[in-house]
Amino acid sequence: MKKLFVLLFLVVSFAAMAQDTIVLQSVEVSDYAIRRNQAETAMERKMDTALLKRLNTITMSQLLIQHSPVFIKTYGPGGVATASFRGTTASHTLVLWNGFQLNAPTLGQVDFSTIPVFMTEQVALKWGSGTSANSGGLGGVINIENTQHFGEGLILDLKQTYGSFNSFGSYITAGYSWASHLLRVKAYRTSSDNDFEYNNIGVIPHQVMKQKNGEFVDYGLMPEYQWRFRNSLITIVSWNQWSDRNCPQIMPNVNNSSTKEYTENGYSRNFISYKTYWQTGKIEIKSAYFYEKQHYFLESYTDIGTPVTKINSINDANVFHQIIDLNQDVYKSWKLNAKVQWDHEQVSSNNYDGIKDRDIMSFYAAMTGKLLKPLDLRLTLRNDLVDWVSAGFFPTATLSYSCIFVKGLKINVGYSHNYRNPSLNDLYWNPGGNPDLRPENGKTVDGNLAFLKKIGRFSLESQVGAYYSEVKDWIQWVPTTYRYWVPENVATVIAYGSEVHLKLNYNIYHCKFTVSGNYVYSHTTDESGQQLIYIPWHHANAFAEARWKMLYLNYTMEYSGERKTSMNANEFYGFRLLPYTLHHVAIGAQVRRFNVEFKINNLTDVDYMAVLWRAMPGRSFEISLNYKL
Amino acid sequence: MRKRLFLMLFVAVVAFASCSKKKETPQPAPAQTTKGLFVLNEGTFTYANASLSFYNFDKNEVENNLFFRANNAPIGDVGQSLTLIGDDLYIVVNNSKYIYKVDAKSIVYKAKIEGFTSPRYMLQVSDDKAYVSDLVSTGFWVLNLNDLSKTFVETGNTTEAMVKVGDEVFMSNWSNYYTSSETSNNTIQVVEYVNNTLVDEIEVAKEPNAMVVDKNNHIWVSCSGDYMPPCEPSIFCIDAATHQVIRRFDLAEGSYPSGMAIDGAGENIFFMNGGYGTLNVYKMSVDATEIPETPFITSESKVFYNLKVNPQNGDIYLTDAKNYVVNGDLLRYSADGTFLASFELGIIPSYMLFN
Repeated sequence: MKKLFVLLFLVVSFAAMAQDTIVLQSVEVSDYAIRRNQAETAMERKMDTALLKRLNTITMSQLLIQHSPVFIKTYGPGGVATASFRGTTASHTLVLWNGFQLNAPTLGQVDFSTIPVFMTEQVALKWGSGTSANSGGLGGVINIENTQHFGEGLILDLKQTYGSFNSFGSYITAGYSWASHLLRVKAYRTSSDNDFEYNNIGVIPHQVMKQKNGEFVDYGLMPEYQWRFRNSLITIVSWNQWSDRNCPQIMPNVNNSSTKEYTENGYSRNFISYKTYWQTGKIEIKSAYFYEKQHYFLESYTDIGTPVTKINSINDANVFHQIIDLNQDVYKSWKLNAKVQWDHEQVSSNNYDGIKDRDIMSFYAAMTGKLLKPLDLRLTLRNDLVDWVSAGFFPTATLSYSCIFVKGLKINVGYSHNYRNPSLNDLYWNPGGNPDLRPENGKTVDGNLAFLKKIGRFSLESQVGAYYSEVKDWIQWVPTTYRYWVPENVATVIAYGSEVHLKLNYNIYHCKFTVSGNYVYSHTTDESGQQLIYIPWHHANAFAEARWKMLYLNYTMEYSGERKTSMNANEFYGFRLLPYTLHHVAIGAQVRRFNVEFKINNLTDVDYMAVLWRAMPGRSFEISLNYKL
Repeated sequence: MRKRLFLMLFVAVVAFASCSKKKETPQPAPAQTTKGLFVLNEGTFTYANASLSFYNFDKNEVENNLFFRANNAPIGDVGQSLTLIGDDLYIVVNNSKYIYKVDAKSIVYKAKIEGFTSPRYMLQVSDDKAYVSDLVSTGFWVLNLNDLSKTFVETGNTTEAMVKVGDEVFMSNWSNYYTSSETSNNTIQVVEYVNNTLVDEIEVAKEPNAMVVDKNNHIWVSCSGDYMPPCEPSIFCIDAATHQVIRRFDLAEGSYPSGMAIDGAGENIFFMNGGYGTLNVYKMSVDATEIPETPFITSESKVFYNLKVNPQNGDIYLTDAKNYVVNGDLLRYSADGTFLASFELGIIPSYMLFN
């Protein structure tokens, strides 16, 4: 693994030495016309939108683990998938959709298996000082945005997939785009029996069996309206989704037909936004209402047949968001971004004692500009009021240097101070919730070398970075005088590591080659010095694609290093998760308005566990047919 | 330049792709168990990382992870209790809802008994019959030891700790969390074992969690009170012959009596008390009329989780669960309460059984 790191580093530095013309980062046409300051983009990376479109039948969890530095802990297809950004845990990855937080107020996390890539148009990762505009993203922020579509005429995009384990996926995008209006609906439905064969190593003797109780069905509907007039834009979007998923049992427990476990979740996320631009700036006023319902059910049957309901948990969350966001050129290269945000969270749950709510008011300002010609600076400051009491002031600073000796090379450094509020479960779970919890407090220092290069038909985008962060008052649930556990601010967690990102394009005749990859080293420990559970020291992914005329072939690799499942220095034999590498290939052809693709997942039929005693599928197939007007 | 770059990239991709799956070298099978103490480590709830440890008295050392090493599979989710019947060791696995039967010497798998809801403890009542208590079902299971078939006996309450005195089995009704409020969690039910019939019900305080029998055939019961305040933690002494409560000792609100144990002669009971997670050990004569005020062994920041007394030499064994997420310890004390040794065990070491 170390060798690999050196190798990748060499590739980056080699390329850096060969000077040629510079590639400019593509200018965003979807958002405001103001060119962004270098320091502003130093701590973020946009995912390739063309790739997103092509991969739109997978979930966000698969997208992130295969194409980004974010590690995903997944319970398998149709199971919960949570993110670990830079070695932190699930609740430290903030997900924003057009600026509104998707993390449920109840648990504080996002289940990435419930975000289909199909429902997104633009995905960006932000870390360190890039997370400054909101609280919560102590590890990082995943930003999902809708984009503008005008003057495209009739929109019709149909996609149907069928795959192993009786898996179906239907995706429809339909609408009409006038010069200044857009009316569009996205709808999808996915389902799977999810009854793959696996080697159950949790029973005696080990036995090849089919996964039981893993069926799931998800569907969603997203109508959208956009209206452009003079220098203004009005957007109304409603993202609605439902899922009904059975929960398979862990390997040792599979023969228990006596357990019925499922989740039924649904949400409706709605927003309206008004944007107006002028010569030197823009303002955006937006309002959102999010509703989320989570139902978890667990029931046991005895051999004598009496059902005993053990858990029947129902949470209803209502969240209102209001944002006013102003961008204004101030003086020469200096720009101001000011934002006021008010979030009102309200949860009704049979796990709480009554309805609980919380108000978070946030005042944010960012200044960006050139300090010297090659030196860009960004300073931000945020003050949050949580239930009208100040949570403190949180500054960040980013310095970005465009190397004058090597064109295309940028050196970025950042410092950030942020915090994360306890989730409402942490505060109000009955019994155990602790209303006296303090927010978690994190400080991060990070830096990276970014290099963009174009030599003839060849282009390179690379980044090598390192980070160090310290989170104080880390919330953990600990036992108390009574038998329930209570969350407390007990630990200090130190996370440091490095990331390498590489992307190459090469065009020749009718051929187009793309190779990209990420490698991440993360070291995350509490005071005991032990790596936190389920965080790999090493993980990596790679993607390679060749296109020739109408045909394409691509290969995806994901690697997860060894992971611990307990905080012991020496874990017992059998309880440590072994490293694994998965390979996926897809071959496709585009004929006029049709695209046909055949995909093999887990090509080498690797037998692995991503979570202890959770079954994972071996080799599987998927065929998809797409018609696009 | 370009060629070289692509070559390097190719090498990088191949290097990734060839990261073959490493196999952990399997550990040798555990040594045959002899004279010593089995300790079952519960493991983390839903992680299925329960494990079995054995403290060998002669070698004075602990061997861990016996079950996995002998069978190349995990015990399951939440290792609850152990029962030794003849040459067989029965391992009750609560959240996996089964009981494993293994050879007590080699720990090699023999059989698996399934179909429970939430099995807790197993008690042999005759040559070919054992009872299994259940935390969620309103009754108990009768297990045929010859063919491992089972039947359910409805008693109206969930069952927990069990002791047998003469023809009668006393079962504590500890919980009604998952059942209707009509089921009781403050009683001891008495079952006549020949016909498996419920003969009596004795009212004690809420949550009777552990029981021992002394030399006078008196049953000592620790009641943890309740899940939520107000609680009534207490210790009861019941005459097994008359089913009458003969003594009741009330403990301070917020205390959590548990881990009831007795010495070989049946003259002194030992139990843990204090706040959950900060328990001390108390020793009390069966003739005492008051609860001792000073602890016999103080926790000193250890998290005592379970207690057992060696019936032969009076040595006291305690498990330390530490922070519940790392391996705990086995602590050995002499009969007079002097600390002798500690050994690393698995996660949340709890149930102890002398071999």
